[in-house]
Amino acid sequence: MTTGVLMYCFDTPDINYHRLAERCVAQIRKYLKLEITIVTNIETYKKFKPLGMINYKLVENSKTNTRPYRGKSVAWYNRERVQAYEHSPYETTILMDCDYFIFSNTLLELANTNFDMLLHDKVHDLTGKEMIIGTDEGTLPLVWATVTLFKKNANTKAIFDLIKHVQEYYPHYKNLYRIRYINYRNDYAFAIALHQLNLGSFIPTPMAMLADSVHILDSDDDGVVFKHNDCINFTSGQDIHALDKEWCNG
Amino acid sequence: MDIGNIKTHSDLNFEVAQAKKNALEKLHSRQLMAYNERLFKADADTINLVSTLKQHSKDFYVLDVNDNPCIINEPDVFLQKLIERNQETLNSYHQLHQDLATKRK
Repeated sequence: MTTGVLMYCFDTPDINYHRLAERCVAQIRKYLKLEITIVTNIETYKKFKPLGMINYKLVENSKTNTRPYRGKSVAWYNRERVQAYEHSPYETTILMDCDYFIFSNTLLELANTNFDMLLHDKVHDLTGKEMIIGTDEGTLPLVWATVTLFKKNANTKAIFDLIKHVQEYYPHYKNLYRIRYINYRNDYAFAIALHQLNLGSFIPTPMAMLADSVHILDSDDDGVVFKHNDCINFTSGQDIHALDKEWCNG
Repeated sequence: MDIGNIKTHSDLNFEVAQAKKNALEKLHSRQLMAYNERLFKADADTINLVSTLKQHSKDFYVLDVNDNPCIINEPDVFLQKLIERNQETLNSYHQLHQDLATKRK
């Protein structure tokens, strides 16, 4: 049974995602010790520093989506993720955003269990300001596709096929589920597919998160120091999803 | 009444409370444990359940965190793993708790 990590990484005019991915790879090597595959485009691939044994899959990505980030609208290349089932060379895949940073071996424990698809349906805002989730975002239970574990089988094939369909007809599904967020977001596409197919299990503990208004000041192998308004705090030994996209720029 | 002083205290208490909340979330997350392809939480409830059931039978079924049944063939080994993980996470939480108590003084 092969288990590995699959990441999607496309630099945009505003954000050097490859820097985040480089850091993410280092953390995966330290705590998970799994094989890694990065799906990227040729422009981004050329910017990666040598990372040792990594499987790269080069694709031409869609460049049509945008997202709000720190008060402005920025390019967001997130539409390729729906092909994770085809892109993954592993039987058990940990599909992960390159802004998710591993500081524990919790994902290994999860990967060693029996499931079709496993992802977060709850988040924990480390600042305590509850800035992550808005109110009335849609009429279906939200899930977070940031970290998605899946095993290749008929059920997960059906899930990814439906996610592709949802992406293709996203305006219809957005209206159907009264989703407020204007642009295509994988979290909603995954949530819709899981809701329609009545599949998927959830990671029992919430995903620790830092909103994009939180600045990461410093980090080491074990954790990060972050600042929000005038409060400085740290987290260690805990995996985090950090929306600050600039902290790895040096 | 010194409003500035009260605000400083309030900010400090908020930070301490949040640090405690974050540490508890970390503890819960680190207590997740795979066994026989099922997912368990190495908390007091699971430890008590396994400890009680093993007194009555050599093997038995329990529900994992997703309500899937799992057969426990070697209760002693499982219980030992649960206790080790439980104490490992609690030790880590205890250290932080002491740091926070010092910060509050």
